[in-house]
Amino acid sequence: MKLGKQKKMALETFLYTLPALLLVALVIYIPFVLSGFYSFTKWNGIAKEPELIGFGNFVKLFSGDKDFVQSLLFTGKYTLFFMIIANVLALELAVILTKKIKTANLLRGFFFIPYIMSMTIVGFIWKFIFSQGFAKLYEMSQLEVLNLSWLGNPDLAFYSIVFVGVWQSVGFYIVLYIAGLQAVPQDVQEAAIVDGANGVQKFFRVILPLLAPSITTCIFMSLTNSLKVFDIILALTKGGPGASTYSVTLNIYREAFQNNNYGYGAAKSLVFFLIILVLTQLVLRGFKSREVEL
Amino acid sequence: MSHSKRKKIRLLAVEIVMILVALIYIYPVYLMFMNSVKPFGEVVADVIKLPGKIEWQNYVDVMDKMNYQKLFLNNIVITSIGIIGIVIFSSSTAYLLDRRRTKYTKFVHLAIITPMLIPFQTIMITLLKVMSVVNLNGSTWGLGIQYWGFGIPMATFIYYNFMQTIPKEIDESATIDGASTFRTFVSVIFPLLKSVTATVIVLDVMWIWNDFLLPLLMVNNSKNTQTLVLSAYTFVGQFNTQWHYAMTSMVLAVLPSILLFILLQKYIVEGVVAGAVKG
Repeated sequence: MKLGKQKKMALETFLYTLPALLLVALVIYIPFVLSGFYSFTKWNGIAKEPELIGFGNFVKLFSGDKDFVQSLLFTGKYTLFFMIIANVLALELAVILTKKIKTANLLRGFFFIPYIMSMTIVGFIWKFIFSQGFAKLYEMSQLEVLNLSWLGNPDLAFYSIVFVGVWQSVGFYIVLYIAGLQAVPQDVQEAAIVDGANGVQKFFRVILPLLAPSITTCIFMSLTNSLKVFDIILALTKGGPGASTYSVTLNIYREAFQNNNYGYGAAKSLVFFLIILVLTQLVLRGFKSREVEL
Repeated sequence: MSHSKRKKIRLLAVEIVMILVALIYIYPVYLMFMNSVKPFGEVVADVIKLPGKIEWQNYVDVMDKMNYQKLFLNNIVITSIGIIGIVIFSSSTAYLLDRRRTKYTKFVHLAIITPMLIPFQTIMITLLKVMSVVNLNGSTWGLGIQYWGFGIPMATFIYYNFMQTIPKEIDESATIDGASTFRTFVSVIFPLLKSVTATVIVLDVMWIWNDFLLPLLMVNNSKNTQTLVLSAYTFVGQFNTQWHYAMTSMVLAVLPSILLFILLQKYIVEGVVAGAVKG
């Protein structure tokens, strides 16, 4: 009787969790394993049978695929700039918005609005501003900065993309930092002031260490999101001018769906996966070890 | 007195500066709305000036050219199918995973949440092939079902963490009263998950509604299955010199999210924070 009940429970557990398991397997594990297989083949997507070529794709990749290396460099540089600027800016704004300001909630909403809009549309809005908007502002102000080709010059295009990326998502990091700041106990802050700490000391010695969990979360999120940057670039520059603003994801996309090199694209995507995995684990560990408990 | 007064004045100054910063910050969104109701000539002549005459005709034209009603319906279908499945499968799975801890559930738990580490771009090439084999590509309902698999890992993770805060006594007493697992879950546990369910819904609606790459791969071939964002993307490509139409199509694509945000700001912000902290 008891055994029967246990068996029934095990069967129940199996049946309840099966749909979730199957669905995840269908859209993630099976394609992932297939990507592994295709990375050892040459396949244009049309031919019936992919042709096995061993490590050919990886050899080609590591013996110097200029475009891929350039897209890696672009993505790395973008990630670095994005992480630093987005986090510093968001933390700063969050500190101000947690002061006793009457309109704080409304202002937070203003900063958050770009985040709820599709990144593609955000890219288009800025494309419009960089061309039409800046032209008009230049006419009015004669400021040379506004007359530069912000999307047409390779160096400037990089900064434009970083700028738009930060503009779109800084509101997200602001609300995370606000939540973290509100969790820092008031009495600890008051104790610091009683002990004679000034505003700057209070921030760097008391608040910042206690904010470490929020910082870890935001750093982790900004890292994974910026490594995967895609939509904004597609809307703003399509990878141009030249191929100066190709991100890794855009490079993989083009390799597979425009050049029809599915096997080679799959190899690139696996390398990209490993890079993300290693980077996020390293960063996560580094930041976690610095967290303090109250 | 003078000290606190000075503090008040300083705070007021900070507030005024912040209001200005926020207004400049949101100015591009305002420009998009304003230029969407200008006639073409006025957009080209001066993007900053207010419209001399409000041109609602832009909206009539673009809604007609885009087939807006159909697109809106597509978005609703994809998002609701996606959300319903994610909530049902994730909450029930998390319930069993937490309450029946065995070697098997440990394995399932790991197998379900690990994919959060796999970037979409790593699997997109072969996903397209797998989805055409099982006939889930090229249709709105098929895309909705795909979101089940992509949404379950994160949602299960969030539900699972929350489930641990619900005392076991609650469902044990229901079971002793003779309720089945299904009964206990539906009438006792699920109602207690309301706040997490809200978080999951907020996060996933924002994600699915605005998603670009997966719909681009799956439903971009036919006008009948396109999403709002996809259509705005092609539309802006086609009309890239006719900025008044481009602006209008962009407004039409983001308006639903902005309205929803204005109505539910508190819940959306709370949900996003909860999702990031728990997930």
